[in-house]
Amino acid sequence: MEYDEKSRYIELNMGPQHPSTHGVLRLRLTLDGETVKKVEPIIGYLHRNAEKICELDFYCDALIYFDRMDYVGAMNMEVGYLEAAEKLLNIEPPERVKWIRVIMAELNRIASHLVWAGAFGLDLGMLTPFFYVFEEREKILNLFTEICGSRQETNYMSIGGVYQDFNDKIIFRIREFLDEFPKKLEEVYNLFIKNDIFISRTKDIGILEPEIALSYGVTGPMLRASGIPYDVRKDEPYLVYDRVNFTVPISKKKDVLARFIVRFEEMRQSVKIVKQALDKLPDGPFFNPKAKKSLMIRLRGEGDVYARTESTKGEFGVYMVGDGSVKPYRVHVRSPAFKNLSVLPYLSKDVLIADMVAISGSIDLVFGEVDR
Amino acid sequence: MNLLTRIALILGFLGHYPAYILAYIIETLIVLIFAVVVVAGMVYFFRKYMARVQMRIGPNRVGKYGVLQVMADGLKLIQKESIMPQGRDDLPYKVAPLIIFIALIMGFVFIPYGPLAWLGTLTVTHSDVSLVIMFALIAIMPIGELLSGIVSNNKYAVLGSLRGVAKDISFEVPMMLSVLAIVMMASATKGISPLDLNGIVQAQNIPFAILEPLGFFVFLISMAARASYSPFDMGESDSELVTGNTTEYSGLRFGMFYLGLFGTIFLGSMILSTMYLGGYNGPFVDDLGFIWLLIKTMVIVVISLTIWLSMPRVRIDKFVTFGWKYLLPISFINLILTGFLVLGGIS
Repeated sequence: MEYDEKSRYIELNMGPQHPSTHGVLRLRLTLDGETVKKVEPIIGYLHRNAEKICELDFYCDALIYFDRMDYVGAMNMEVGYLEAAEKLLNIEPPERVKWIRVIMAELNRIASHLVWAGAFGLDLGMLTPFFYVFEEREKILNLFTEICGSRQETNYMSIGGVYQDFNDKIIFRIREFLDEFPKKLEEVYNLFIKNDIFISRTKDIGILEPEIALSYGVTGPMLRASGIPYDVRKDEPYLVYDRVNFTVPISKKKDVLARFIVRFEEMRQSVKIVKQALDKLPDGPFFNPKAKKSLMIRLRGEGDVYARTESTKGEFGVYMVGDGSVKPYRVHVRSPAFKNLSVLPYLSKDVLIADMVAISGSIDLVFGEVDR
Repeated sequence: MNLLTRIALILGFLGHYPAYILAYIIETLIVLIFAVVVVAGMVYFFRKYMARVQMRIGPNRVGKYGVLQVMADGLKLIQKESIMPQGRDDLPYKVAPLIIFIALIMGFVFIPYGPLAWLGTLTVTHSDVSLVIMFALIAIMPIGELLSGIVSNNKYAVLGSLRGVAKDISFEVPMMLSVLAIVMMASATKGISPLDLNGIVQAQNIPFAILEPLGFFVFLISMAARASYSPFDMGESDSELVTGNTTEYSGLRFGMFYLGLFGTIFLGSMILSTMYLGGYNGPFVDDLGFIWLLIKTMVIVVISLTIWLSMPRVRIDKFVTFGWKYLLPISFINLILTGFLVLGGIS
């Protein structure tokens, strides 16, 4: 009988509408039975041309397109944009604003990692932790509603300041949240980590060697789970990260479980950072008078800047060119999730479909950011 | 006096044999209706329980506390257009959900229900081989699972049903071996048929779960895998294969698969409590055995649901390994231990 090489493999199309592909990832799989021979991620289903639209807007207005990139961790996106824009426009935010931004970014980092943990549980077939983490996330989003007026795409920060100042009530409520959150976090953590099936599904799966990770440009918790302690907050501090005390968690295990543990440890560190920031929060104005509302659209920038920040997914870079007009000439985004996704075909070679789903879940993809 | 005789006496004007035949039919119908109601109630109970576990409220709109939600969903599923894929194999596609559903509902006929107050014994069958028929019906269900996957012209469905079959063959041998141990145990008691579920209940002066903990363990896992809920839902694995073999089903046919899942949990728990926990035997009351059976079943159901809600999915190759490398030796050990128990005269 003639043997047809092509008919040996099943070609399976996963997504863009599929329960395990967070958002609109499409994967073209070549399967040999249950084994994945090849994965080809196909992206672009959520492409909204954000970088180009930024060129059509004033410096202050382009911010909202960054909110919609990583919509799970919008505060970190805003910090990333403003790091670049303020450098280009030569506007220094007041001291209080820097601390407020750190608080908001870290709270949002917790929320983002919680969402990831829930979705990761769903990938593995665990329904229950999803609701536990979303309850905690909802508390953070309620805080955001009180501070910024909206839950997810907050549009809270602006050039040279923030939209609203913190008051005592807010600070009290954040403290209240931080007091009870670590207990809940441990509860959720134990739901996962004390489950033998969870361990067997994640341990030694999707091993990412540090050299490979570096050559693919992988950053964030993925890289730290491979044993490289690279964190922009530590290595190239922005805002006031050099004045708070925290550690960068790493793991030498390199597998999916290591990424899980690193993300949970990061949440604990974030709690620590927010607590310190609340203690050290200085008094002062909450915006730079040079960038008050009536002057904001007249800000002009010239030259080019690159600013990097540590978003929830990894190193988030914004490259911005100004030509002396009121609008940026070019905005480019280095998206961490996009770079992290590029390692998926390497990781899921010759693994089972179930493992492939676990690996793609461990990357923490948010498609607003991958496609921009 | 049992329920069958009572009905036959009421129908006595038809003559002896017609009355008994009609009484059989009526009682079977009663049990079938009971089965459907119980399965629907099971769906409601599961949704409420799941909601409590997950800090939600659960269905609370249709009827008081949402009890009619299942009926509303059922009506919706019946009304819905059944979207069928092109290129399907028509007859098996339509027969597959029926196989699962009918085999499941028929299974309820062979359970020994025990006495309930003045109604008398509710047990329908007086067959000597009800155990064999029961497990024949359970063994039919995978055929529906396999058929539904391979004829619906969908790659997810094919992969799902292949996983389902791989799972089925790895737990059914240990399951039948643990059933064999039960039969050995029951055959030591004089005056009952060891292949009759009713006889097995009568043989349990001490519940078999205490005498054969290993068999109980193997059978619990096997029934969980049969019902295919998490952690054994590799056939459906909703995050990898959409919904596996049921991907292309909609409307009433999907409803049958859905009820089949919950029905299997309930039936499996009932068989488990009949074979290992003493069935309708219970202390304190002699004529309320049915209530005891329900209580035991619900305990098993709650344990099953808790397992379902707290476990991630096992990878299929690991389950196959588990089935052949651990469950099978355990059930052999159980068989040997049972042999010693029977020789020693303990049962």
